Amino acid sequence: MIRIERRLEQPGWLNVAVPVGSLVLAFGLSALVLVATGHDPLQTFRRLIHAAFGGQAQLTETVVSATPLAFTGLCAAVAFRMQLFNIGGEGQLYMGAIAAAAAALLLHSLPMAIVIAAMVLAGAAGGGLYALVPGFLRAFLKTNEIITSLMLNYAAALILNYLIFDSQSYWRDTTTAEAKVFPQGKMLPDSAAWPSWTLHGLGLPLGFLLAIGLAATLWFLFSRTRFGFEVKVIGDSPRAATYAGMRTRRKILAVMALSGAVAGVGGASQDGDFRHLLDPRGLQQAGYGYAGIVIAALARYNPFAVVLIAFLLGGVQNAGFTLQGADFPSGLVGVMQGLILFSALGCELLVRYRIRLASRARRPVPEAAT
Amino acid sequence: MTKRKLALAAPLLTLAAVAVAFGIGAGSGLARSAGHRAVFKAAWIYVGPHNDGGWSQAHDEGRLMVQKALGSKVQTTFKENVPEGPQVAQVIESLIRDGNKIIFATSFGFQSAMAAAAKKHPDVKFEMATGTIQLPNMAEYFGAGEQAIYLAGMAAGAASTSGNIGYVVPFAIPEVIRHTNAFALGAQAAHPGAKVKLVWMNAWFDPAKEKKAAESLHTAGSDVLGQNVDSPATGQYAESVGVPWVGYDSNGKKFAPKQWLTAAIYNWGPYYLKRTKAAMDGTWKTGFYYGTLKDGFMQLAPYGPKVSAKTKSMIAAKKAAMISGKFDPFQGPLYDQSGKLKVPKGKRLTIKDLYAMNWLVKGVVGSPKG
Repeated sequence: MIRIERRLEQPGWLNVAVPVGSLVLAFGLSALVLVATGHDPLQTFRRLIHAAFGGQAQLTETVVSATPLAFTGLCAAVAFRMQLFNIGGEGQLYMGAIAAAAAALLLHSLPMAIVIAAMVLAGAAGGGLYALVPGFLRAFLKTNEIITSLMLNYAAALILNYLIFDSQSYWRDTTTAEAKVFPQGKMLPDSAAWPSWTLHGLGLPLGFLLAIGLAATLWFLFSRTRFGFEVKVIGDSPRAATYAGMRTRRKILAVMALSGAVAGVGGASQDGDFRHLLDPRGLQQAGYGYAGIVIAALARYNPFAVVLIAFLLGGVQNAGFTLQGADFPSGLVGVMQGLILFSALGCELLVRYRIRLASRARRPVPEAAT
Repeated sequence: MTKRKLALAAPLLTLAAVAVAFGIGAGSGLARSAGHRAVFKAAWIYVGPHNDGGWSQAHDEGRLMVQKALGSKVQTTFKENVPEGPQVAQVIESLIRDGNKIIFATSFGFQSAMAAAAKKHPDVKFEMATGTIQLPNMAEYFGAGEQAIYLAGMAAGAASTSGNIGYVVPFAIPEVIRHTNAFALGAQAAHPGAKVKLVWMNAWFDPAKEKKAAESLHTAGSDVLGQNVDSPATGQYAESVGVPWVGYDSNGKKFAPKQWLTAAIYNWGPYYLKRTKAAMDGTWKTGFYYGTLKDGFMQLAPYGPKVSAKTKSMIAAKKAAMISGKFDPFQGPLYDQSGKLKVPKGKRLTIKDLYAMNWLVKGVVGSPKG
């Protein structure tokens, strides 16, 4: 009989052995699939790693993929820390992108620094306010925030579509020839193009640096301040927090707003760093918000780990496009990516639980029937 | 506290170390294989899966034709399910790094990334389907879908007894509007007074949504279904409820063997072959190609069992008239939905008019704004 039990203590070596083991497992499982479909596993893994991290150009592209994932990963990590399951990073990112694009279009004649600062603030406000909707519902009506924040993702997607496809909105380009062929957002002014820096051939967009800065700020907030302590207590034991006189409702609102604001800045970065217009289809196809949830879980809600995992997953995502081709279906790429995530998340269990092979129960166990 | 953090950092460092180790190993391996490159490399970028049973599949059949005709002299590949946005630029860059010298992009949303890459890589030829931007090393190509769609519309009109035809449409853009108009005009030619009801998807490829749209059209009384979207979901639904179906882009008979009528199909292969050959021997020049029935670029898919001999001969006569230039789908008199005369008798619309068409013809039920 196989039993899964909680570990009484977590030996330190497990923290190394489990991730390495899960990686080995992922490679092993992928190798089986690859051999079964007639591909050389070693060659494939080499191509995968090379395409993700094998050179300056590849690393630069990995950073491009990683930037939005870092924001949405942080968004999920912030809320999940307090057992507040904000699944709405996707929609909050859209709202941030909408608000930031509006700021850029409105302030186009001002100096670049002001426009960029306004975009960041507008993005944060857009995402934060949108996250406050499920926040309020949770704090005052005890509505399940998983459902409400998820549903609001669809609402945000519809708003995004409405602005570009179904109306002559402020964001929509109605003059250029391309926009007549296919509806698109207005090009943002040059003053709204976020700068990027090159370090030894590695391109670092402003958004990625902002994400690192945010990670550091959040780490400080959660490990060095009273606010962070209270969030942790509320997350671990809401009752204890109430008895200790902590204001749970306020914390719910603050954490939701913070979480949404982080995703919103991610949306602003999409506008300013990469797309330079409000791009409803591209944003919806990408699904950054949902990937962020996986990243937060893999990073165990640690902000720095979020950035690192976002970087690794960004690489895997990026490599996926290089790997696929006429002889390598994209479905197989998806299977490999899925196996890596599945192994990593599945093996996480082994850090906190252990599997015991026990001999058949010596005495009757009443609850064994379930 | 510190111990916990250390424990967290350890697995991440191992992950990173493994990745770097693999990356270095892969770098040297790939450098070697890139050394010999005698074959000419050509690549295609698809917005959906290469075997979507519609648009992307038609392009992929064109690619296979190039591969077959030129054999070992070329190496073709494709990237599928590529989202629009920063990801496209990365995909293009990685294709160029892999040594591809001509790149065909088959969705309008790839255009801005294609144009940017064309400016950056003057030695690579870029080909943009359905687009509008021409550069010295970037050409545009598409086909007069309206001609073949008109004929497919005739098959739909003839198959309908009630004159109520459902049409599943992607985006309210000029391309789709002119296709819809051609379909309606064809249907009305075979069934005077026929109405064409629209359901907008705001997506090119979304089988679940397309099926729902087909269902709602059928329940609202349509006794023939047609589509301008990419997946065969409408046809699968039509087959299940026993309603004749007109597909789009590819021969979809296998999805609805009993209910299949026909479809407008694009024969991309000859164009791809011509352009790839030109790129190989250095005679490639930019251009704007608009293929027609006469060229054999536009075709009508083989008929299904429900198309009567009378309908077939009627369609054949119209087809001959279009090829000889005696007839054009958009020749006056044409009226818009409100009954206003838009194209007077004896006048035809130019390609420029067609690329900016934003009004629906009389008998179409739905909004040209989506």
